[in-house]
This record gives sequence, structure tokens and C-alpha cells, in this order.
Amino acid sequence: MEQDVKKTVPDHDETIIEVRDLRINIKVDEGTLTAVRGVNFEIKKGETLGLVGESGCGKSLTSKAILGINDKKCKASGEIIFDADGLGRVNLLELDPRGKEIRSVRGKQISMIFQEPMVAFSPMYTIGDQINEATRLHITKDKKKSKEISLDVMKKVGIANAEKRYNQYPHEFSGGMLQRALIAMALVCNPKLLIADEPTTALDVTIQAQILEIMKELQKDFGMSILFITHDLGVVAGMCDRVAVMYLGKVVETGTAADIYANPQHPYTQGLLGSVHKIGTKNQDKLFSIEGTVPVAMNLPAGCGFYERCGKRIEGVCNVSEPELVDTGCGHKIACFACTGCPNAKKEGKANE
Amino acid sequence: MSKGDKILDAKNIVMDFHSKGVTVHAVGDVSFSVNEGETMGIVGESGCGKTTLGRCIVRAYEPTGGQVMYTTSEGELIDFLKIDKKTMKQYRKEIQMIFQDPYSSLDPRMTVLDIIKEPLLANFPDMKKEEMEKRVMDIAAKVGLNTTYLKRYPHAFSGGQRQRIGIARALVLNPRIIVCDESVSALDVSIQAQVINLLHELQKEFGLTYLFISHDLSVVEYISDRVGVMYLGKMVEFAPTKKLFSHPMHPYTESLLSAVPVADPTKQMERIPLEGEIPNPANPPTGCYFHTRCRYCTERCSKEAPEYKELEPEHFVACHRAQELKLKGFDYDD
Ligand SMILES: Nc1ncnc2c1ncn2[C@@H]1O[C@H](COP(=O)(O)OP(=O)(O)O)[C@@H](O)[C@H]1O
Ligand SMILES: Nc1ncnc2c1ncn2[C@@H]1O[C@H](COP(=O)(O)OP(=O)(O)O)[C@@H](O)[C@H]1O
Ligand code: SF4
Ligand SMILES: [Mg+2]
Ligand SMILES: [Mg+2]
Repeated sequence: MEQDVKKTVPDHDETIIEVRDLRINIKVDEGTLTAVRGVNFEIKKGETLGLVGESGCGKSLTSKAILGINDKKCKASGEIIFDADGLGRVNLLELDPRGKEIRSVRGKQISMIFQEPMVAFSPMYTIGDQINEATRLHITKDKKKSKEISLDVMKKVGIANAEKRYNQYPHEFSGGMLQRALIAMALVCNPKLLIADEPTTALDVTIQAQILEIMKELQKDFGMSILFITHDLGVVAGMCDRVAVMYLGKVVETGTAADIYANPQHPYTQGLLGSVHKIGTKNQDKLFSIEGTVPVAMNLPAGCGFYERCGKRIEGVCNVSEPELVDTGCGHKIACFACTGCPNAKKEGKANE
Repeated sequence: MSKGDKILDAKNIVMDFHSKGVTVHAVGDVSFSVNEGETMGIVGESGCGKTTLGRCIVRAYEPTGGQVMYTTSEGELIDFLKIDKKTMKQYRKEIQMIFQDPYSSLDPRMTVLDIIKEPLLANFPDMKKEEMEKRVMDIAAKVGLNTTYLKRYPHAFSGGQRQRIGIARALVLNPRIIVCDESVSALDVSIQAQVINLLHELQKEFGLTYLFISHDLSVVEYISDRVGVMYLGKMVEFAPTKKLFSHPMHPYTESLLSAVPVADPTKQMERIPLEGEIPNPANPPTGCYFHTRCRYCTERCSKEAPEYKELEPEHFVACHRAQELKLKGFDYDD
């Protein structure tokens, strides 16, 4: 199997973050959860990567590992190589989670927005004060200037009457407006990478559409990369350049959005896409559904994590060793013994069979 | 009565809530009918009154006004909202509701067996214990629950399984109509597909009629024969599914459809953005409730409320300009 040699840092200019074989174990009462069991992806400058998968597959743990904000009981291993200003290429997992270095990255070079904007804001302070705090911490101590910058970002994310809104408290904001304010707070220091963890899941579709539109526009303005985490395959299709599909703590398939949606190869990806009805397509009698449920990530048997539910499993192969994420030759990577490769790669005669 | 006949005819349903000195018009004068054996979908964004409407239909709320004309299994026409307690007891089991949240709607202190059995105890106090248990077992198996686990408590079950428990509980009374309120919304897609397939099968087997309430337009489009769109407590449009999704006639429907995320990067629709946010239902705008956000608004719209009318066969719309506007919907394959 030809894979990149591990443990070397590639010097591809464009790649701003690379996650390699990330694993996270969590000690719980019943034993150890292998909650993240091998996450691999990279994100290039200005690009949006969609990390998709059903609830519990390890998306949030992965994103929090990047920022070093997981609980103490979560033990992470692997590499998260980030091209940090002032530090060069560093493995974020090796930084002291409370040290100066990670703090120069967290909230400044990498910032995050999540599903519940209410949780991100303190009810005690005005929205303006809270956005301004980030500005003053990272950009300028000059009071007047920093307020100007904060207001400017509030306007950029489409908060009407920003001057008035600046002095209001979180409870005076609707869910959609609060999410805009959170985006403003995340963008105020012009991060290289924005992690958006289910940023629109709690919102209505028309508000979601507004927020997604804003995010796309801001990405053009600010040029940041986005790690867009969601369980919604529709949202990914409209937002992302590339996609990484997770199942049971592992990235099982990754490639360009166009490729993943047109030629899904991993049986889980196929099942997931098959389960989603597309408006306007002929009504099948039944929706495709993946049998069974996701197992608990504890004392997992050997082999592929999808084995129990997989329609293409090969007995004696898939339940013996674990498939690795392999490039089929066109950047489309699949972790499955039963997959023969991406049709695109085959056309170019590069199939990795 | 046969499949396709009107089984439910809701007329001018009004539901006001009074709290802290303000009146919230949660549902304002909504009328629609449902045919036996069909699935009628109701969509709209949160707060538009879907749940309240569903609860009015099953009489979990006493509506401020309106009628719910119900054709009983004997073919008798009754106003479900007016009947006395005794008659109510007889017919309530024919119209059941599955609630939104599979986590909070099941009593954590009861075993799953008891949860499914409870409606039987309440409605058939004379039924023999063995018969009751058998009926629970049959229904549990039918909805795909492992019957050896029924003595366990709800927390031991996954979201999809809990939703099945809710379905079994509604089904155990052998209803004719089931109101499903966001019944699959909290589930992951692969589990959602399982539950939708189950609802389909049960409908075929028992000839069930569904009122399917959801904010998820893709799911509603898949499952419904006809769909109603609500905005700020009002039904603004109602039509057969394909018609509504391919040729919407109300500007709100057009925007709503354009905002639906489509799971195909090559089929992204042009968004028709809605400016601003939904107004407060305690203080709705004058004229057409949608006029503050409507890109086609004229002066008349801000003054005069449009009538909800059947503008094309089976296509009801409440918009002054519905007939002159050419609105965009989804392209259909066939
Ligand atoms: N702090 C924690 N303690 C124990 N288990 C956790 C903790 N955080 C996450 N988990 C478990 O790890 C798995 C992955 O969680 P998460 O990353 O939040 O999933 P996702 O974001 O994909 O829904 C889940 O099974 C979850 O229950
Ligand atoms: N019990 C209640 N008391 C007061 N207001 C309510 C109550 N239930 C719902 N409402 C209000 O009625 C409106 C419609 O709510 P609901 O029917 O739950 O909408 P949906 O199900 O479409 O999200 C909302 O403004 C909501 O706040
Ligand atoms: S009546 Fe007027 S404001 Fe209302 S939807 Fe129609 S065009 Fe828009
Ligand atoms: Mg999460
Ligand atoms: Mg509701």
C-alpha cells in the first residue's frame, strides 16, 4: 500500500492544517471509549472541508482536539499539523493546552463557532462588549479603534443597526442574529481557519440559508479556510469543496464534494446518501436505509467498524483487519476492502486495485 | 367509507394563547381537509403554529374557535371539538398523536411494555390482561422492537427505537388517523429512513391516514400526498405535493423551497433570500402577514389581508398576486 510516509511534515504551501491518524480515548465508568479511531484529512488555504457523519461519530471531539479544548479525560494521539504564524508548522497536540503558544493560535488563528450560540455568550455582558473583548485581546488595545473594528465586523455579518445592537444583551437577539454575532466574534481577528461545528443545525431553513450565504461571502472577503462540521448532507453539498465522511470515529472516505456525491464508494457513504430523499426525484417505494444501529465504541471487535451493517462485507477479510484510508489515484480516498477504486481514477488508468 | 373520501375536515381553526397580558395568535383561521388513507404534510418554520394545530386536531388543546368535522368508521359525521365526554372517549382512540421528542415524551419510570400498554388500560379497562399483553407484543414486533427487551426502561433505547415506542403506543389503539409531530426530525438520516419506511408500511397495512407535521421539507415531500404551508399561524398555501413543490403560488413557499439544502452539488438552486425575521405572532403585521418580508409586496398587500382561495383545482393560496406571479419551484425528473 502506497501511503504518505507518516511522521514527516509535508511542505505543501497550500495546506494549512493536516490531521493525521487522530485517535481519542475517553475513560468512562464502563471502560475506555475509542471515540475517535483514526481521523485523517487536510485543509488547503481558502478551502472548505465538510466533515460529515451521524451523531456520536466523533466530529465534535475532532474539532475540539484541534483547539485543545477537550475534557481532561479525553486522551488524544496522532498529529494535528498547523501552519501557525509565529510558530511555523507545529503539531498542536504537542503544545501545552494552557500554554502561551496554543493561546496564540486558539481564538486568533483558529476560531470556532458552534450549534448553540447562546452558550458561547455570557448573558451578563452586551454582545458588543463580548465581541470587543476578542478584538482587544488579539488586535488592538486602543479603545476607539477596537470598537470600530468590532462594529465593522458586526456589519459585515449582516447585523442591521449594528450600533444599537452593540449595546444589547444576548437574550435580545434571535437565534439567527446570535449566530451572526458569534460569527462576527470568530472572524474579528481574521483567523486562518474557522471551525464551524453544526453552525446552522438549530436554525430554520430560511435563516440557515442566510447564515450559509454570509459564511460564503465572508470566506471570499477574509480568505480563511473552513472546517464545516455537520450531519446534513444537503448543507455540505452547497458549502464544501471537499468532504470527509466519518463513521464510528474514523474517516472512511474523502474526496472532492463533486466526486463523493457523484461516485460514493464506501458502503457507508453510499448508504448515507441513499437515505436522503432528494426533492424532485422519483418516489421510490422505499427509502434506502442502513440496517441496524451504530455500535458503542468500546471493546470493538477487529476489522472494519462498519462490518456488522455492511452489505458488501467480505467475511474473513473485513472482520480480520482494519481497512486503511487509501488514495485511489485521483485524491479520492477510501477505507474499504470491498471498494475497487474511484471510477474517475479508473478512467485515467490510475486505479489502485 | 372508502379510501380517498374526506375523513377530516378542519374549518376555521383558531387558537389564541393568553399569557402575561398578551395574546399570541398561534393558529389563525386555518381550514383544510384530509382524505382517508392519505398523508397530508404541514410545513413551516418554528413558531408558525404546526404543533398547536396538530394538538387542536386531536383536542389536546381546546381551540378558541373552529370545527373539526370527522367522519367516523361508521360513516357518521361529527364535530370532534363539540362532542361530549362520553362520545369523545369512544372516538379519541381513532385519532392519535405521536409527539415530537423521543427523549422527553416517554415516562422514564415506566417500562416500555407499560408505556405501550397504558393507552389500552385507559381505553379498554375491561380487556383481559393476557389479551392486552398479546396486543402490545404484536404491535411492538410490528414496529420492529425486540420484544424480549420490553421490560426495560426507555433510557436503554436509542433515539430511533424510542420513536418506534412512540409509534407503537399510538398504534396500539388501532387508530384511523395519526398526527405525527416532527416524528423523525430528531433522528439521524439512516435511522430516519428506517422510521419513514416503517410509517409507510404501517399505512399500507392498516389504511392509516397521517397528518405529518415537520419543518423538514425533503421528508415532507417524500411522504406526503398533499402539503400545506404555514406562516405566522396561517395556512398560506395548500396543494398536491408535486404541484406545491414544482409550481408554488405563494411567495413565502417560493422562498422556503429555495432555502432547502439539496444533497447534490450539481443541483444547487438559486436562493430567494427572505429579508429579516418572522414577526411576533402576538403582534402580526397588517394586511398580508407576509408583506413585511415579501419581495413582491404592493401597497394593497400592506393594507388588505388576502383571502385563502382555491385558485386552481386543489390548489389553495392566500396571496393577492398569486395568479400574476410566476414563481420558481423544484424541477422534477419526470
Ligand atoms: N466528555 C465526554 N465524555 C464521555 N464521552 C464522550 C465525551 N465527549 C464525547 N463523548 C462520546 O464520544 C463520541 C463522539 O462524540 P462527539 O464527538 O460529540 O460526536 P459528534 O459530534 O459526531 O456527534 C460519542 O459517543 C460521545 O458520547
Ligand atoms: N402553551 C403555549 N402558551 C403560549 N404560547 C404558546 C404555547 N404553545 C405555543 N405557543 C406559541 O404559539 C406559536 C406557535 O407555536 P407552535 O405551535 O409550537 O409552532 P411550531 O410547532 O410550528 O414550531 C409560537 O409563537 C409559540 O410561542
Ligand atoms: S399578498 Fe402581497 S405581500 Fe402577501 S405574499 Fe402575496 S404579494 Fe407578497
Ligand atoms: Mg457534535
Ligand atoms: Mg412544533
